Amino acid sequence: MLPKKVKKRASLLAIFLLASILGVFLILNTLNKNILYFNSPTDIKISQDLNYNKKIRIGGMVKKNTLEINNQEIKFIITDFKNEISVSFKGTIPNLFAEGKGVVAEGMLKDKRFFEADRILAKHDENYMPPELKNILSDNVK
Amino acid sequence: MFNFFYNSNIFIWIEKLINFINSIFFVLLLVALSFALIFSPPDYLQGDSVRIMYVHVPAAWIGLASFTVIAFLSIINFIFKIKNLTLIAKSIAPIGLLFTCIAIVTGSIWGQPTWGTFWAWDARITSMVILAIFYLLFILTHKYFLEESKANNVSSLIAIVGLINIPIVKYSVEWWATLHQPASIKISGTSSIHSSMLMPLLLMFFVLILYCALIFLMKYKTEIIRIKKKNLKRI
Amino acid sequence: MSMGGYGIFVWSSFVITFLVCGVFYYKTRKTLKKYEKEFAKEIENLSAEQKKIVLENSKIASKILSTYNKTI
Repeated sequence: MLPKKVKKRASLLAIFLLASILGVFLILNTLNKNILYFNSPTDIKISQDLNYNKKIRIGGMVKKNTLEINNQEIKFIITDFKNEISVSFKGTIPNLFAEGKGVVAEGMLKDKRFFEADRILAKHDENYMPPELKNILSDNVK
Repeated sequence: MFNFFYNSNIFIWIEKLINFINSIFFVLLLVALSFALIFSPPDYLQGDSVRIMYVHVPAAWIGLASFTVIAFLSIINFIFKIKNLTLIAKSIAPIGLLFTCIAIVTGSIWGQPTWGTFWAWDARITSMVILAIFYLLFILTHKYFLEESKANNVSSLIAIVGLINIPIVKYSVEWWATLHQPASIKISGTSSIHSSMLMPLLLMFFVLILYCALIFLMKYKTEIIRIKKKNLKRI
Repeated sequence: MSMGGYGIFVWSSFVITFLVCGVFYYKTRKTLKKYEKEFAKEIENLSAEQKKIVLENSKIASKILSTYNKTI
């Protein structure tokens, strides 16, 4: 059998570990909303306490065929395939920003359906492939 | 147990391994680098900035893996008090901190052209910074407490608490909305990364693992000599 | 070399990684050599009789000493 001291230390450690897991879980639970880097258009739609004077981030996909670029501003629609929000933006966009790709916009809500961004970040997906393969894939889709 | 680890044969093996890794390291490094920088194709979307992944991803893996090893060694160590495990954990920690920092810095360099920002306080990046802080605390306790048994106890507890952070880092991209993309390489199921890019990634990972082994062996050897020196004084 | 404008990002991350690794290797090696040297010194300071006992009882001690002597 194991010596008494070893048993004592093992049980002490088990209690300590359980307590810290519980602690971390509680912290994460209370922080839950703040951990989210961005809200989806659906989150905005169902949210009760919207603050129109605070900066927030909205993320989703840039809806296809909605991107309008003219001299002064860029307009597009962010969608999570359930709900949508129109975004207008003045400034430079990252290289990877494109229709049908992920995007995170930072700025202020004007109302539940309209968002004025002052910063645009591109959200990259987890697919990596060489360009030739991408061409073959898109040919197959056609 | 003590005798097994302290067997002088182990010491001789460490020497042999160090020499062996030293002899093959540069050839492998050149091969891996040429694949990562020249032969592998650019990404269809990111272009050539995808090459940053070849150092970023292995560095992050090593950072996570070595902390997991340290934490499990610490659990055994806290309960059974085996001196050699302390030496091993102590020798791994600086490597883990180094690679965690490399992962954070290269990730930030990749973020600028891809996301449009160097830094974002999203769940993945924040939990990675917390990992680096745990490494730092672990290393500092060994420097701060001169009494070794106390240093061992405190650092073990730090590593064990830090272990909770590991699944948070791993699954942060799935549990919460983050700017960081989900993992491309999955333990089970198909990977969403093309084989022409997976190969240089794994090659680079292998080379960096060899580097870690080299540093670990040198650090472990240093620790053994330090202990031996202390024993000399007792005569 | 320029990698379509991404060159600076790619090269800087590779250079940073391998530079830091190189410096870290150098430092680790230096500490190791320092400890070997100090250990050898301690042994030299022992009396002839003690030295004999230590080297006979500990293979590691004699091994450290021999690698140190090789490097000088």
